Amino acid sequence: MDVAVEIKPLRLALVGVPNCGKTALFNRLTGSRQKVANYPGVTVERREGERLSADGRTQQVLDLPGTYSLKPTTLDEAITRDVLLGRVANVPPPELVVCVVDAVHLPIGLRLALEVKSLGLPMVLALNRMDVAKRRNVKIDVTKLAAELGVPVLPTIAIKRGGADVLIEALDPALWIHHRRIAAPAWIEATAEDAEQRQKDLRGVLEAVGYHAPVENPWFARLDALLLHPVGGLLILASVLFVMFQAVFSWAEAPMNWIDGGMAGLGTWTAAQLPAGPLTSLLVNGVIGGAGAVLVFLPQILILFLFILALEDSGYLPRAAYLLDKLMGGVGLSGRAFIPLLSSFACAIPGIMAARTIPNWRDRLTTIMIAPLMTCSARLPVYALLIGALIPAKTVGGFNLQGLVMFVLYLAGIVSAVMVAFVLKHFSGARTYSPLMLELPDYQWPHLGNLLLGLWERVKIFLSRVGGIILALMIVLWFLSSYPAPPPDATGPAIQYSFAGKLGQLLEYIFAPIGFNWQISIALVPGLAAREVAVSALGTVYSMSAAGDDVAGQLSPVIAGTWSLATACSLLAWYVFAPQCLSTLAVVKRETNSWRYPIIMAAYLFVLAYVASFVTYRAVSAWA
Amino acid sequence: MIQQALVALIVVVAIAVSVWKLMPARRRLLALLKFDAWAAKHPALATFRERSLRPRITRAAGPGCAGCTSNVSRPQPPPR
Repeated sequence: MDVAVEIKPLRLALVGVPNCGKTALFNRLTGSRQKVANYPGVTVERREGERLSADGRTQQVLDLPGTYSLKPTTLDEAITRDVLLGRVANVPPPELVVCVVDAVHLPIGLRLALEVKSLGLPMVLALNRMDVAKRRNVKIDVTKLAAELGVPVLPTIAIKRGGADVLIEALDPALWIHHRRIAAPAWIEATAEDAEQRQKDLRGVLEAVGYHAPVENPWFARLDALLLHPVGGLLILASVLFVMFQAVFSWAEAPMNWIDGGMAGLGTWTAAQLPAGPLTSLLVNGVIGGAGAVLVFLPQILILFLFILALEDSGYLPRAAYLLDKLMGGVGLSGRAFIPLLSSFACAIPGIMAARTIPNWRDRLTTIMIAPLMTCSARLPVYALLIGALIPAKTVGGFNLQGLVMFVLYLAGIVSAVMVAFVLKHFSGARTYSPLMLELPDYQWPHLGNLLLGLWERVKIFLSRVGGIILALMIVLWFLSSYPAPPPDATGPAIQYSFAGKLGQLLEYIFAPIGFNWQISIALVPGLAAREVAVSALGTVYSMSAAGDDVAGQLSPVIAGTWSLATACSLLAWYVFAPQCLSTLAVVKRETNSWRYPIIMAAYLFVLAYVASFVTYRAVSAWA
Repeated sequence: MIQQALVALIVVVAIAVSVWKLMPARRRLLALLKFDAWAAKHPALATFRERSLRPRITRAAGPGCAGCTSNVSRPQPPPR
C-alpha cells in the first residue's frame, strides 16, 4: 500500500554579511522589488516574501539584515540573531538557512557561514557575485568548498535573470524532508578560544579551495585617491550635489509645462462638459486643482532620484560617508549616521529606521532627532512652487538661479541638522566617539535596470499618494472651503464665509507675525498629514478664492501676484524646519518605544520653524 | 439634487479614506483583524477574505513583530 507523505513547504532565511547581495537574491526568489543598493545597511528589518516551489506550494522566504557575526553590536544585527535562534515571539526559526557569501570577498562571508553552520540548522551556501569574481580572476573550487563545509554550495549571480536557477532547484522541499529541525537551535556566545579555532578553520578552508584575494583594480585605487582626498574629495562631493540641484530645475522645465498644461486643459474641458453646480466645482477646484498642483512636480522628483540612485549604484555613497565621518564626528555625530541621514532625503521614515545600524544609543537618538531636518522629497514640491513663483528663471555666473536657491535650501537643512546635533550632544553630556567601520564596495557602472526600477518605485509611491491621501484630503478641504454657502449680501469671496475660511482667519492670529495670510494658514493644517499636501491645499484654496475656474494647475502666477517676497521667504524658512508629518512621529514613537521623543521632536521643530520664519520675514521686509 | 447627493457621497468616502490612511498602522491592523474575524463567520465572504482581506492584513502587518526594535533583545556593546 502506498502511503502519501505530506511534504510541508520550507521556511527559508537569507543570511549574510552586509552588501553581499541578500536582498537582490530575495527579489530573485520571491519576485519582490525590495530596495537594493551598492552599500551596506539597506535592510534593517526582517522582510518576508513567498515563492512557489517546484511542486506548486508556497514557501516563506525571510530576508534578514546583514551581520558580520551572531554576536550583534547593533539592533539590526540583533534581529538577525534572534530570528535565527527562534527568540522572537510567534516567529519560528527557519527550517533552511541560505547563507549568502560574496565570492569576491570570500573570507568575511565564510567566517559568518561557519558560525551559522555551528547552529545546526540545515544550510546551503549561495556563492554570490560569481560574475565579478570571474572578472577579477578570483578562483574558488566550489566542489572542494562544499566538501570542506559539508553543505551544498551553489554559485549565483543574484542581479542576473536566471542567475539563481541552481539555487532554486536546490530549494525543492522534497530534498530537505529528512533534514527538518523541530527544536530551536542553541547558541553559546563564542569564547576567545572558539573564535581563534574558527579563524584557524577558516584559513584551512580558504587554503583548501585555493582562494586568493582579488587583484586590486588600478582604476579603483586611482579613483579612491581622488574621491577620498580630504579636501579634493569634499569639493567633488559638493560639486556633485550642486550639479544635481541644477539639473532638478534645468531638465524638468519642459515635462512640468506639459503636465501643467494638461491639468489646466483638463480643468477647462471638465467645466465645459458638466452643468454648473457643486459636483463640477468639486471636480475642477477640489480634484483637478488640488491634485494637479502637486502632480506637476513629478519630473523634478524623478530627476533628483535618478541622481541619488545612480550615486548609490555606483558605490560612491559609502565613500561620501567616509569623507564626512570626520566632519560629523566634530559635531558629535557618528559616521554611521550618514546613510540614515542620506535616506532621509527621500523620506525621514526609512532614515529613522536605518538609524538601527548605529550601536550607541545616544548617537542613534541624535540621528533620529535630526533626520526630519534633511529635506525629504515631500518638501520638494513646496520649494519648487515657491522658487518657481518668486525667483526669476535666469542664470547667474553661468548657473541657474532657481537651482542655486534650491541648493541653498538643502544646505540650510544640513547645516541646521549639524547645529542641532551639536547642541544635543552638548546637553546630553556624551563625549564618546564611535568610529566608522565601513566596507567600501567596488565601483560599478549604475545598472540601468536598477535605475529604472528605482524610478518606477518612486513614480508609484508619488502617484499612490496623489491618488490616495492627497486626493481624499483635497476633497475634504474642498467641502470645508465651500460650506456653508456665503450669505446673500456677501461681498468677499465665498471661501471667507466657509468653515476653512473661518479656521484660516483664526490661525492667522498665530501666523500673522511671520507673514502668513489666511490661505497659507489653512494649507498648513492638511500639510501635517504629508508636507506636499500643502501645495495641493494652496491650489484648492486659491481655486475657491478666485472668480473663475482658470486657477486649476496655475498656482505659481497667483502666488507671484499676491504674495510679498518676505512672505514667500518666510514660508520657505518654515518648510526648512517644518514640523514633520504624523507618520514620522509615529515611527519615532515605535523606534524609541516612548512618546517622550516624538513630543520633544515636534516641539523643537515647531519652535525652530517659527523663529526662523519670524527672523526671515522681518529681515526681508526691512530689506525689500 | 443628483449632483448634491453625489457630492455628499464622495465627501463621506473621502473623510473615511482620510481617517483610515491617517490612522496609526497598529490600529489599522487591529481593525483589519477584527473585520477578518467577523468575515470568518460568514461563508459568503470566504473568497473576499482569501483574495482581498488576507493579503491586506499581511501587508499591514509588514515585517511583523520581528521587525520592531521593541521586540528585539538589545545587543551587547563591543568590548572596549
